This record gives sequence, structure tokens and C-alpha cells, in this order.
Amino acid sequence: MRRMLAIVVVICLLAGCESDERILEQMALVQTSAYDLLENNKIRVLSSIPVIEPDSDVQRQLLTAENDSIKEARLIFSRETDLTVVSGQMRNTLFGISIAKAGLARYIDTLLRDPSIALGVKVTVVNGGAGELLSKNYKSHLDTGRYIDHLLEKEASVNSIPKATLYEFSRDYNDDGVDPVAPMVKDAGEKATIDGIALFNKDRYVMRIPARNGLIFALMKNNLKQGEIALNMGEVEGRKLVVMFSSLLSKRKVKVHHLEGERFSADIHVNVRGSILEYTGQEDLTDTDQRKKLEEDIAAHVTARAEKMIQDMQRNKVDSLGIGQYVRNSLSYKRWKATEWKDVYPRVKINCRVKVKIKDYGKYI
Amino acid sequence: MPFTDVRPHEVKELLRQAPVVLVTDAKKVIEGIVNGGVAIFHDGSTYLLDLYSPESRSVQQSETETVITGPHDSFVESLTTNLSLIRRRIKSSHLKIIPCSVGEISKSKVYILYIQNIANPEHVEEMRKRVQRIETDGILDGSILTQYLEDSPNSVFPQFMITERPDVAASKLMSGRVLTIMENSPIVVSAPAAFFEFFASPDDYYQRWALGTALRMLRFMALLITVTFTAMYVSVTTFHYEMVPEALLRTLAESRSRVPFPPVYEALLLETMIELLREAGARLPTKIGQTIGIVGGIVIGQAAVQAGLTSNILIIAVATSAIASFVIPSYMMSASIRLIRFGLIILAGTWGNMGLVMGIALIIIHLSGLTSLKASYMIPLAPMKPSDWKDVFIRAPFSMLTKRPTQVKTPNSTRQTDKKQE
Repeated sequence: MRRMLAIVVVICLLAGCESDERILEQMALVQTSAYDLLENNKIRVLSSIPVIEPDSDVQRQLLTAENDSIKEARLIFSRETDLTVVSGQMRNTLFGISIAKAGLARYIDTLLRDPSIALGVKVTVVNGGAGELLSKNYKSHLDTGRYIDHLLEKEASVNSIPKATLYEFSRDYNDDGVDPVAPMVKDAGEKATIDGIALFNKDRYVMRIPARNGLIFALMKNNLKQGEIALNMGEVEGRKLVVMFSSLLSKRKVKVHHLEGERFSADIHVNVRGSILEYTGQEDLTDTDQRKKLEEDIAAHVTARAEKMIQDMQRNKVDSLGIGQYVRNSLSYKRWKATEWKDVYPRVKINCRVKVKIKDYGKYI
Repeated sequence: MPFTDVRPHEVKELLRQAPVVLVTDAKKVIEGIVNGGVAIFHDGSTYLLDLYSPESRSVQQSETETVITGPHDSFVESLTTNLSLIRRRIKSSHLKIIPCSVGEISKSKVYILYIQNIANPEHVEEMRKRVQRIETDGILDGSILTQYLEDSPNSVFPQFMITERPDVAASKLMSGRVLTIMENSPIVVSAPAAFFEFFASPDDYYQRWALGTALRMLRFMALLITVTFTAMYVSVTTFHYEMVPEALLRTLAESRSRVPFPPVYEALLLETMIELLREAGARLPTKIGQTIGIVGGIVIGQAAVQAGLTSNILIIAVATSAIASFVIPSYMMSASIRLIRFGLIILAGTWGNMGLVMGIALIIIHLSGLTSLKASYMIPLAPMKPSDWKDVFIRAPFSMLTKRPTQVKTPNSTRQTDKKQE
């Protein structure tokens, strides 16, 4: 009985230590943060915080600070609001192109170090100023931060952009033989839009894959269970030939061959199955032979686009597809360590072997 | 033939229908008449007949354990009626009765019922010992009796199953448990009982097995909801804002923003209100009880949100966990669980999820330590008996329910022959 009493007293006393209470409505829950590098080498941090005042017209407030570090910005924010600024509800980080070119490693490191920031927070590059994009008000969307977040989420689910979170970005950054990637967005006047895929060399932004090639990139990098792509396959008798290839299922395999003199070649085998939703050509798709022919045409078209994309990547020394991992796995640890992959990579002969299978061609018979 | 012509030795022959004794002591005659007997004075000798049959409530439907299909009779206050209700269901010479009595003053009759060769003799013996060990002036009801008999009377959890339903009582007997039944009480005590037994309803067996299984799962979900939902609300809104899904964030924060108290006080306030309503409803006649439900549930609930005393999401949480607690078929168990919920809310309000997890761990530790008639209470989870799961967590088809529960340690574990093994 006396012990029980002691426990009750201790519980009551400990309830006084409420400094670590974080009552929901007293928090300023940072939803998106945007980071830009200024000319004087300071960072401008802009954070979007939802306003939860029921009678308020505005949906969000923006806090901004210019200083030397991300976390210092939070202290400055704190002086401007009556709420406690916390980052546990952060969904997205927008990095301006200026900061991405200078290297993201130290910022990613800061974000990872904070235990309240989830590994699932997205890493996004903005083609332009990140702060400008986030502070812009789009007519049809009350909260720009949430709008961009949902846009990225949806597009990543159909594989037109890669999923890039703190986890994936830092994993690829720290891993040998692969470089990180991130989706890229930009302001397009009335709307924000996906601008493509940002490719990094180590942590520095180097090149961009345009949005229309997003799915080709995905085909070369992953096994897909979803996706669709419009293929513009030139002209036939004065009419544009467009094939909409949809409901994609693909399998990718990489085979590495060792050539003499520290040289390698790699074959990327991609098997795609999908259905044709739009076809503006003249051929009769019900005919097996003509369908076979179209399959081969699509395969050749995809191969050509993929190989051109890979050549660009090799020229810029970015191994975003992770070919280096397959080379590494085919070598002994010692030989891999002796290989300077970034120097070897541009000379690797990478072949794409695409096989296409048309599952069906729509409900029209 | 007139009674006056009957010869003395013929009297007993004629009065065969009722127990009759020849009494010579005048005091005994008076006592007999006081106890409701009939005295016959004939030819210089006095016969005492026991024709006493007191008025008792007729067999009615149970109010606390209702079923949709299946038998609707329930025990009454008469011991002989109750025995006949059980005997009607088990017409076996193996059904044995040990008569005992408890109460120095009340001298109430207590019968221990079991089926020979199915019940564990150790359990029967243990129960007999415990009944005989009771030393008190009087026990008035089976639900009091069980508190004298239980292994840990200080625990919040009931360790013996009590029922008003003869079909449940018969099924307990046939699964090898020991019944204790007491005069002037419609409550029958079944022991040993397991924690999960309190979540089974006779309806599970009266309905088809798929439905019975779904109902079982629903009840275990209800257990989880009633124990953790409000506490989870408190811990998330007090400490773990990170855990709120994005879609819920705005509504939750908005509804909280008008409330002047920390979430823990808000939750305790509303939980207390619900308990007040429930208790008021239980004490009042049914007709007024409904009014209380409307006044309390709708008027106060709505007004409390508009006045900014509570957030409407908490109202949903509290109401859901209250409803979930009523899904648990045993009233005793559901009351115990509602009680421990308050402890969990306070823990969640002080230490957040860590407090909540600590509280749940303590409950599980406590439950695992409990015994029922010296048999493990948390069986078939601790100790692990996967073969029992098909009649505990789900309700498998009858063809699969071939064994009696392992908790009983019955000498005869086969309920029916397994057709597949033949």
C-alpha cells in the first residue's frame, strides 16, 4: 500500500516535467522547406506552415530567414511566431538549382541528423528559385507546399519521376557505384510543373533529363509495375505517328562483360509489356504480324532514346542507373577499390536491349 | 374411503407423493408448520409433510446475456429450477453434484456440479475446498460467491466466468469445467476460465462458423479500440504530432485549437461524462434511461463541442471506445476494461506513447501472472497452445473442434472423433 502511494506521488510529481509536451495546436508544423543559395554564400530558408486558425482565411504562413545554416533558421522563425516551430510533419524539401549545383550533402546531413525528420521526406530540385516557387500562390491551390507534394507523390506512383526521399538520396549518395537522382519541378505561370529528373554527380547537380524521357529513365533503372508513355515515332505519309503505350509492366536486368584492359561493357535488358491506348498509324493491330512489327518499332524507338540518354549521362560522368553497382558486384573488392569508377564509367559500352510485348490494344476491336 | 377409516400403517402408503415423517415432538411440529409444512394429526400420531413450494420468478429471457438465435431461457433464483434447467440439457448419470453450504447465518446451499470423467478431479477438489473454506455470515449472490472463490480477488479482471444462461452452463460442463451454483441466485460460476473465454458469446456457435469467426475478430478489435483509442488520441495530440496523417492534421488541429485544456484533461472529462451517462442509464427504469441517452449523448455532446470544452474528434474517439466496450459479451470483463482505460489515459497524458506502451505491458504482465483455479489465465497465448486457437480467436467449423480446451487438463480430451484421422 505504501509502495502504491509512493508510485502515485512520483507520477504526480513527474507530471510537472511537461517541458517536452508538444500539444498539437501549439506547434508550427513545417510542411515544406525551400532552400536557396544566395550570392553572398548565405542560405535563404523559406518554410511553409499550415495555419490552423478555424476563422482564418489564409491556409498557410511563410517564414523566411537568411543565414548560414538550416537549423539556425528555425531559431529565427521561432522569434516570429507564437507557436513552437517543429519539423516532424515535414513532407518535402525544395532545393533551388543554385544550392543543388553547389552540393546538397551537408544539408541532407543536417536533415538526417534531426530525429524528428522522417526518412520519407522528399528531396526535390527546383529549376529556378525554390523560395520563389514555394512563396508563389497558385489560384487553384490554397497551399502551394501541399500542392507540390501531392503532385510529386502522384507522378512518382506512375513512375514518370523517381521516388527521391532523404532515405533514397542519402543511400545512393553514400553507396558505391550509383549516383543520386531527384525529381525537378519548376514554376510554369499558372501551375507548377514537373520539369524532369535532376541527376547528381555525388551530391552536385549536373544534368537534367527532360520530363518526356522520365519513363525511359525509369525503364532503364527499375522494374516497373505501372506507367505510361507517349511515343512520337516520326511521320508516316504526312501524319504524325503517336503510340500511347500504357499499363506498363517491365523487368530490367543488367549484365556486365569484362573486356581486356580494365574496360567493361554492360547490357541492360528490358522486357516491357503493356497495352496500346492510342495509335494514330495505319496498320491493323489485330493482325499478328503487323503487331509484331509495331512491337519491334517501339523497341527500336525506346532503345534509341535510352542510348542517347545514357550517352549524355556518360559524358557528364553521372551513373544514375547504378551500372557501377553491377560492375562492382562482378569484381573482387580489391579490384573494385583499385578501379576509379568515375574515370572508367564514360568508357563503358552500355547497350540497351529492349523487348516489347503488346498485351492488348484497347477495348476497340 | 374417508380419511378416518385409514389405518395408521396405511398413511405412509397414501402419502407417497410427498416426503412425510412421523413426528412425536410438538416443537418439531411447530417448526415444520413455520417452515411451510403441513401437519396431519391422525389417530393419535402426527405426520409432517413438506409441501413447501415458494413463489419464484418464472424462467425468463436473460437481460445481461442476450442472443439473437438459440435458447432464450435463463436461470432464476430457485436452485431446483436451475438444476432442472441444467439436467434437461445433460441427461447423464455422470453429472455429479457435491452439496455444500456457505454462510454461518444464511446457511445458503451451494452445489458444485461437474461431469465425472470429463472434469479434472483436481479442479473439483480445489473448488470444494475453496467453498468449504469460506467463513462469513452470509453470501447473497453467485457474483459475491465468485469473489470469495477467485485466485486473486484484488485483480480488476474477473477470473471465473459467471453466466445466467443454462446453455452456456451446460457447454462449460461438457468442456470439463466445474460449475458452482447457489440458491437464491441466477448466477452460475464456471471455473477455470481463461481471459479470452470472456470474448466468446453463445451466438458464435448458433450462427454459421464464418459469421462466428467474424464476430470473434470484431470483438478482439473492439478490445483493442476500447483500451487504446482515447489514450492514443491523448498521446498523439500531447506528444507525438509527427504521427498524425497529413489528411487528418488540419481537422484535428482545428478542433483542438478551441479547447482550453490539455488533451488529457479533455479526455478524462469526456470519459467521466460517458461513465456518468452509463451509470445513470443502468440505475434508471428503461423508459427514462432512453431519455438520458438522448440528453447525454446528443445534447451534451453537441453542446460540449460548441462551447469549446472538447474537440469533436475526441467525442468520436470516446464514443467509439464506449461502444466497443459494450461489444464485449461479458459485462464483468467489459467493466474491468473500461476501468483500466482511465489508467492508460493518464499514462498517455503524462508520458505519451511510452506511458501507453508501459501501461499495456503492465496489463499483459498482470494478466499473464493470473491463474484461475490454479490454471493459467492467459492460455492459449501463455502458455502457447496453438491447437486451442481455432476455438478462441476464431470459431472454426464444428468438424474441426474435436478437442476440449487444454486449460482444463481433462482426463478425456476428445469431444468428437476426428473423421479425417479414421
